[in-house]
Amino acid sequence: MDLAAGSALPLLPTWHPVANGDPRPHVRTPAGRAVTAGTDAEAHLVRTAQSGDRDAFEQLVRLHADRLYAVVIRVVGDRHEAEEVVQETFLRAWRSLGRFEGRSQFFTWLYRIGVNEAKRTYERRGARPASTPLEEAPGQAADERHTPHARAEAQDLRQALEAAIMELPMDYRMPLVLRDIEGLSTTQAAAVMDLGEAAFKSRLHRARLAVRAAVEELVTQEHDA
Amino acid sequence: MIRRLLAKRRFMRDHHWTGAHMSDYLDGELRPEEQSRLEEHVHWCPECRRMLESLRRTVKGLMELRRPAPESVAPSVIDRLRRES
Repeated sequence: MDLAAGSALPLLPTWHPVANGDPRPHVRTPAGRAVTAGTDAEAHLVRTAQSGDRDAFEQLVRLHADRLYAVVIRVVGDRHEAEEVVQETFLRAWRSLGRFEGRSQFFTWLYRIGVNEAKRTYERRGARPASTPLEEAPGQAADERHTPHARAEAQDLRQALEAAIMELPMDYRMPLVLRDIEGLSTTQAAAVMDLGEAAFKSRLHRARLAVRAAVEELVTQEHDA
Repeated sequence: MIRRLLAKRRFMRDHHWTGAHMSDYLDGELRPEEQSRLEEHVHWCPECRRMLESLRRTVKGLMELRRPAPESVAPSVIDRLRRES
C-alpha cells in the first residue's frame, strides 16, 4: 500500500477551502456586495437581521438554505419533507434570532435548529416510507480518464454507500453526513450536534466502520486483486 | 523469550490503538508522534493495512457523494417567511 498517498494528504472534501479554492456559500446583496458564509460581512447581515431587517435575513436564507437542505434530506430521506423542514428551520431562526449571541458561527446555530427539526420530522413519520424519496444519485459527469469499467464500479460504490448511510441509526448517520459528505470540520460538526469533539469523533469512526463493512466487497476487491 | 513476549504485547497494544484511531489518521487529526506510531504498526500488520486502505476508500467515496440541490429551495423559504412573519 502506498502509505504516503494516505498520510501526507488528509482526505479533504472537494469543496473544502484548502482542496479547491474557497467555494464557501456566497450571495450578492441588492447593493451588489458579495457576502460569503463565515465572514464579517455575514456577521454584519446577522446583526442587521437581528434589528428586524427581513431583507438582511432573506440574504442569510439565500446563503444557507441549499446546504442546509442537503443535510436535512439525508436525515428525513424525502424531498418535500426536507423542503418543509428547511422552511420551518428558517421561520424558527427568524423568530428566535434575538437569542443568537454570536458565540458560535451563525450557520452552526442554524444547522443545530435544522438538524433537531429534521430529527423530529423523521421520528414523527416513523416507519412510513417517504412519499417523495431521494432519487438515485445521478451519475457524476463521466471522467474520460477512467475506463467504462472503472466508472461502473464508482457508480456501484455510490449506490452502495447511499444505501448503507440510510441504514445507520440517526446518531451515527449525522456525523457522517456533516463531516464526510457536507465537509464541515470536526469542530463545526460536533458543535452542530451539541457534542464534545471526542464523543463526536468516536461516533464518526463507528459510523465509518459500519459503512465500510457494508461496502467491504467494493472497497477491497481492487486492492486484493 | 521475554523480549519476544514484550514485542508481541506491544504489537497487540498498537493493534488496538491503531484500529481506534484510523479515522483520526485519515482526517489528519493525529499528532506527529501518533501518526508515526500508526504508520509503523500498519507497515508490519497486514490486517490493519487492509482495513486502513478500505476505510480510506470508503471515506473518499463518501466525500464524493456531495451533490448540489437540483434547484434552490431559498425562494420557497422566503415565500413562507413573507407569508407567516
